[in-house]
Amino acid sequence: MRQETSRAQAPIPAVAGIGLRFPHHRAVREDRPAIGWLEVHPENYLGGGAAIACLEAVRRDYPVSLHGVGLSLGSVDGLDPRHLDRLAALVSRIEPGLVSEHVSFSTAGGTYLADLLPLPMTEEALETVCRNVEVMQTRLRRQVLVENPSSYVRYVASTIPEWEFMAAVATRTGCGILCDVNNICVSAANHGFDAYHYLAALPAAAVGELHVAGHALRELGGGRQIRIDDHGSAVSAEVWALLAAAVARFGRRPTLVEWDNAIPALDVLLAEAAQADTILSRERDHAQAA
Amino acid sequence: MPKLRDLQAGFAEVVLAGRFDALAPYLPADAIPPEDRLAIYRNTARAVMTEALRLTFPAVERLVGRDFFAMAAARFVRQAPPDTADLAEYGVALPDFLAHLPEAAPIPYLADVARFEWALHQAATAEDAPSLDADALGAVAAEDQPMITFIPHPSVRLLELATPADAVADAVLAGDDRAMAAIDLAAGPRRLVLHRGATGVCAEQCDADAFAFARALFAGATLAGLVDAAPAAAGTLLAGHLASGRIAGYALQTQTGEP
Repeated sequence: MRQETSRAQAPIPAVAGIGLRFPHHRAVREDRPAIGWLEVHPENYLGGGAAIACLEAVRRDYPVSLHGVGLSLGSVDGLDPRHLDRLAALVSRIEPGLVSEHVSFSTAGGTYLADLLPLPMTEEALETVCRNVEVMQTRLRRQVLVENPSSYVRYVASTIPEWEFMAAVATRTGCGILCDVNNICVSAANHGFDAYHYLAALPAAAVGELHVAGHALRELGGGRQIRIDDHGSAVSAEVWALLAAAVARFGRRPTLVEWDNAIPALDVLLAEAAQADTILSRERDHAQAA
Repeated sequence: MPKLRDLQAGFAEVVLAGRFDALAPYLPADAIPPEDRLAIYRNTARAVMTEALRLTFPAVERLVGRDFFAMAAARFVRQAPPDTADLAEYGVALPDFLAHLPEAAPIPYLADVARFEWALHQAATAEDAPSLDADALGAVAAEDQPMITFIPHPSVRLLELATPADAVADAVLAGDDRAMAAIDLAAGPRRLVLHRGATGVCAEQCDADAFAFARALFAGATLAGLVDAAPAAAGTLLAGHLASGRIAGYALQTQTGEP
């Protein structure tokens, strides 16, 4: 007999979702706001107790995406097998619609460095990321998405434009791309490249999800500025415009609003998601008119 | 061209030790000095690690203040950085670090408060498991019952502290100055059995005999051994652990080595 499931369907719809963070656990669980889907960092749900109980409860009502921040796909040491096993167990338990990670590294010599650190855009780094993505996809037995980084440094050694690096990872491993338009906006400003050119260079068919978030502008004196990807404010007009361009280029995709610092009331986050939905709907109207 | 391994090792020096020179030669010269760029990563990583410790040790932070805690965390991070991306597992070494931190010497119970909070945190985040229904033991044949051993629920932690650090933690987190003033710091050791139940983590204080029983029980002593050690109290104590949900299962010890 087929076992009936009481869960929301797993696939992530091509509408706006929000990143679920601890301050909103109770509100989302009890009030079930009208939002298309939720995304969480699996690192916050690897143990037992209240956190995973909440995630299992909301999973009954919403499609959920697992967006890793700790697997360190760019690590030359390879992936931490225990971390990968625990992620695999969580994937089995939650049955997420999407699983994603970052094109960056966060461990070195067995130490976790607690940030998404930038890789040099070199053939060695590309081979390293591809090797690790293949290990991840084999262990999880599914396609994953990899997210383009935001960064504050470039390396002298870099030889590959970042957009080509991202496309190559997708081509070589069969993974998808999580296109974070806020990250493109931040890095374009910090390193002086054209964000729209970046979007144009990504393979549209590989893009499986979009991210938007707020970032900060830090004045360094002497008229110098750097943009900080802090996810600590509302999405800027510049990033909304870039999202519209991304949707026009790639089509409608699941689109996440991330807010990780100075987390606002849930209503504020939902209003940001509504803004993303407006942009996604515009593309649907365009498509129908065409 | 630097090898990726060298560059990643250099970034570890930047993040953990603030050694910007480890990476600066790999960065192009431009209007913003490499140190300003690298400091963003160092500061973010330090903030993330400190916040993880702050979430696990809130009473320690309340006792020493935010600035002291940040100073101690910065030193601790450098000495014992995390080895896993699951930061809920980070901090096991903080109690002993605090015990040897010269600036913390005026608060002799600080390390015990940290030990208590670490045990609470472990109980709160331990793997899920169902609790054993006592009726299931009825299925064991009478002649096998003496050889029953009990499997603790993954959240069970036993803690023996030299000071009443659990009371200190409760008082300081509640902001209850009267309760804090009433604590007798010389009252002798505290013996606690912690576990996560249906309503959250529970820390139960017990006397020396009950603690010795719990130690034996959760170390895998047989039912016969438990009864021999505490003939009068074993039944009541075992029933209490079962009713609280601290036992996840049982096994039968095989009599290996016997004819």
